[in-house]
Amino acid sequence: MEMVQKMLAGSDLSLARLITLVERDAPEVPEIMGSIYPHLGNAHFVGFTGPPGGGKSTLVDRLTAVMRRRGFSVGIVACDPTSPFSGGAVLGDRIRMQQHYLDKGVFIRSMATRGSRGGLPRAARGVIKLLDAFGRDFVLVETVGVGQTELDIMEAADTTVVVLVPEAGDTIQTMKAGLLEIADIFVVNKADREGADYLGMELEQMLRMSSRESSWQAPVLTTQAINDIGTEELYQEIERHREVLRDTGRLSLRRQEQRKGEFIETIEQGIRARLLELVERDGRLMASLERVEKGEVDPYSASMEILTNKTLLQGWLAELERER
Amino acid sequence: MFDKDRMEEIERRRREWEEGTLKRSRERFGMKESPTEFYSPAEVKDFDFLEKVGFPGEYPFTAAEYPSNLPALRIRGGVSALLVRAGRYSGYGAPEDTRDYYNYMREAFGRRGGPNIAFDLPTQCGYDSDDPVARGEVGKVGVAVDTLRDFEVIYEAFVGESDLDKIASNWTINAPCNVILAMYITLAEKRGIPLDGLRGTPQNDILKEFVARGTYIFPPRPSMRMIRDTITYCTEHMPSMNTISICGYHMREAGAGPVQMVAFTLANAMAYVQLGMEAGLDVDTFLRRFTFLAWSTGMEFFKEIARARAARRVWAKIMRERFGAEDPRSWMLRGAGGMGVPTHTLTAQRPLNNLTRNIIVGIGNALSGAPPMVPVPYDEPLGLGHSLEAEQLNMDGGRLLQFEARLADVIDPLAGSYYVESLTDQAEEEIWEIIGRIDAIGGAVAAIESGYMQREIARSAYEYQKQVESGERVIVGVNRFTGENELEVLTTRLVEHPYDPVKRAEAEEKQIKNLAQVKRGRDNGQVQATLKRLKEEAKDEKVNLIPSILEAIKAYATIGEICGVLREVFGEYQAYNVAA
Amino acid sequence: MAEERRIRVLMAKPGLDGHDRGARVLTLGLRDEGMEVIYTGLRQTPDKIVEAAIQEDVDVVGLSCLSGAHRYLFPEVVEGLRERGAQDVMVIGGGIIAKEDIPFLKEKGIDAVFGPGTPVKEIANYIRENAKRK
Repeated sequence: MEMVQKMLAGSDLSLARLITLVERDAPEVPEIMGSIYPHLGNAHFVGFTGPPGGGKSTLVDRLTAVMRRRGFSVGIVACDPTSPFSGGAVLGDRIRMQQHYLDKGVFIRSMATRGSRGGLPRAARGVIKLLDAFGRDFVLVETVGVGQTELDIMEAADTTVVVLVPEAGDTIQTMKAGLLEIADIFVVNKADREGADYLGMELEQMLRMSSRESSWQAPVLTTQAINDIGTEELYQEIERHREVLRDTGRLSLRRQEQRKGEFIETIEQGIRARLLELVERDGRLMASLERVEKGEVDPYSASMEILTNKTLLQGWLAELERER
Repeated sequence: MFDKDRMEEIERRRREWEEGTLKRSRERFGMKESPTEFYSPAEVKDFDFLEKVGFPGEYPFTAAEYPSNLPALRIRGGVSALLVRAGRYSGYGAPEDTRDYYNYMREAFGRRGGPNIAFDLPTQCGYDSDDPVARGEVGKVGVAVDTLRDFEVIYEAFVGESDLDKIASNWTINAPCNVILAMYITLAEKRGIPLDGLRGTPQNDILKEFVARGTYIFPPRPSMRMIRDTITYCTEHMPSMNTISICGYHMREAGAGPVQMVAFTLANAMAYVQLGMEAGLDVDTFLRRFTFLAWSTGMEFFKEIARARAARRVWAKIMRERFGAEDPRSWMLRGAGGMGVPTHTLTAQRPLNNLTRNIIVGIGNALSGAPPMVPVPYDEPLGLGHSLEAEQLNMDGGRLLQFEARLADVIDPLAGSYYVESLTDQAEEEIWEIIGRIDAIGGAVAAIESGYMQREIARSAYEYQKQVESGERVIVGVNRFTGENELEVLTTRLVEHPYDPVKRAEAEEKQIKNLAQVKRGRDNGQVQATLKRLKEEAKDEKVNLIPSILEAIKAYATIGEICGVLREVFGEYQAYNVAA
Repeated sequence: MAEERRIRVLMAKPGLDGHDRGARVLTLGLRDEGMEVIYTGLRQTPDKIVEAAIQEDVDVVGLSCLSGAHRYLFPEVVEGLRERGAQDVMVIGGGIIAKEDIPFLKEKGIDAVFGPGTPVKEIANYIRENAKRK
């Protein structure tokens, strides 16, 4: 694909337009992803999650500056929620990253969550890959931070940073378990505010009681991103986590799992789309779908009817033959 | 106001009226609810005249700041004192162009007094005219000022009878206020005029820049330090110089609602008062040099009047009770006026309607403890300069209200009105509520750092827009009462003296040359030395920077150089509190 | 299943003008019209706006300027986009812009100019009907 070649040669315009295709889940996506595959695997993905208002964007901005001083290139994916009423969105993270606007070593892309229910748009993983193929050393992904169900960031990131603020103390109680599962690094940002020490202690205590694997003990850092305090230390912890992942073989294991997951997910998606297409064309099956909707038949029995329907599956086979 | 029995009777009669006379009328017209309201003493049960209103010029200043309107109404040769400034708010192009403009206005139109200088955006943001970010902006919204040389040129229009000790100057300058002030001081020294004779008003209200107007340079805290420096320096050396002009106007124009505007303004003002007190100054001394450029107004007549009255009352309470000021003058919302100026309500469609809008506001001003000032010529939103006709109609409007309608004869004639007093109480309550929220965040500076005020204003602006687009808020000739029979309204364009468009377009090139010439002629070693000292002193929060800025100005250092070293120490403010 | 197409807009304040009521209102308004809107913040130079427009791959750049510097700033953005191969991005302008300047701006490649008080709906409809990229 010409656009992919241009992107690989360093065209940021092509990169931007490929991202748009991935974001729209355009028909070209499998081809795009296939052709960038040989170029993947160099970037380290860092995910940032935590409740809104915690200063994630500012932290990403300052961390980017640290990485740039060390000569690394950075890709940033900043996510904001799509309005459930209009489908539109205000993407307001970029504005906090103005110092990097003219730096060719920093590529910032704002994304709306669109159909996704979590804090990460469905297309984010594809976008991260494009930034990897583009040659970025670090890809920093900032989730919306809607609260408790941010597990999707874990699947996409090598290192997950959970950003909290002193005021978040109460919410911690309710998200304890989930947080511990996600976080490779905890950051207590806005640490000049009251309650920062207490929150830090509380987190340390929770971590001591948890039974997570022993090769990595999630550190708790305090930062004041707005004053650029603690960002250097954050960078060093990310670097250290990366080394541990590499040395223990967990990075390659993780990548294996990710590849497998993607493989199965892509197949699932393909089958689902195809199957629904076939169902839609079949008057009898559509009728049974309607009956399911009305509650006249239970979904389970009706689905068995479709999955064991020979005419349907034979029709599919016949179509595959024709396409070949 | 009424004894208990009488009040009970009023309440009973009110219920009877609602169930009887009013209900019958509603039913006759088939209406579920009455479209109108009526206020009786029952709505202001605890009204206490001395506590709520008081006499004009006395606590709690609800009626008016001053005991009478006399000084503001003094007419000079048939022209209101408000309209004879040399330039009103003006200035454009290179300093030479503005100097010539002021001279012309004096000769051709008898304008007297000092200038009210509009600076261009590079100057307001602390950039030199040759800075790449200044491209396209030099001399556009005001005059370009880079060095002392430019101030010397502008003020060539003010000598002899109009020398610096005989006029008062206004400067719409905020972030680099102390740089401009240093230019004026130096100019006076060169002319041999003692500092204690200088009168003027710099705007210097940086907080509203963060919230609404956008010409900030440094982050809020070092910016506040600069204002502290103004207050302490002027209190010591220039007792007749105002130190700040605290603005509500721009926040309203940016979208704040009437009560929001008042609450944010007073919260900002409190932060400035705090500065002076923390610097160890006597509040009753430095507060005398605070002034307010207060209100922009909407058209909701009585609500806006009530908001103006409530603002004076809240401020008086704040100053007396919270800050313990003892001098009654410290309790005044000095210069805040009444209903205000309706700039954001004026429309480019059917522009003559703006005359009606302004007359309504002129009446509102007269009824809210201010002179009957008719604020803006009707052709303002056309953006082409005010025509002579529009200016005359404006001036005559005020005269008409004063001399024919006799609206200036009585101060606060709505005092005691059940409706207006109840609205005033309600506005006061809402103002306190917002102030309470800002207190909880940690004061105005913290509220601005967190983006609270910015977001609230953006939200209000958007709400307003939605109300206009949905037709819920009617704007005559814009979203209603428009039609196929639209008249082509012709407005005349006899402008007394528009800025010269050619000079304005050429200003950038000309000023860059002026600047280069100054740089060639000055002692660059000395400039560097003064900048170095400034930078060192900037690092120590306790030091007042005005003396070292003065040294730099005397050496003809540029505004960009001075703000540049301060940027290195203070950092730059990045506004990123987007509406959401 | 391909996502439906969402229009992406970059709202930008070029130059030093700090009056952003219009830009902010439009940011929220276009969101409510179903668009994804990125606001750059104040004091953007034309090259910063171009860079953001490229990276964010927007369909439309909206420029707001009330200081009178639009004659220089707006064409710079159009020119920058063209140089970068993104001439298919629509550029619209608003603010205090004299009628006489509109033909000049259009000649320089600004697609449309909207004055103060233009309803958000009108701008949204214009964008939907005229966005060049499909």
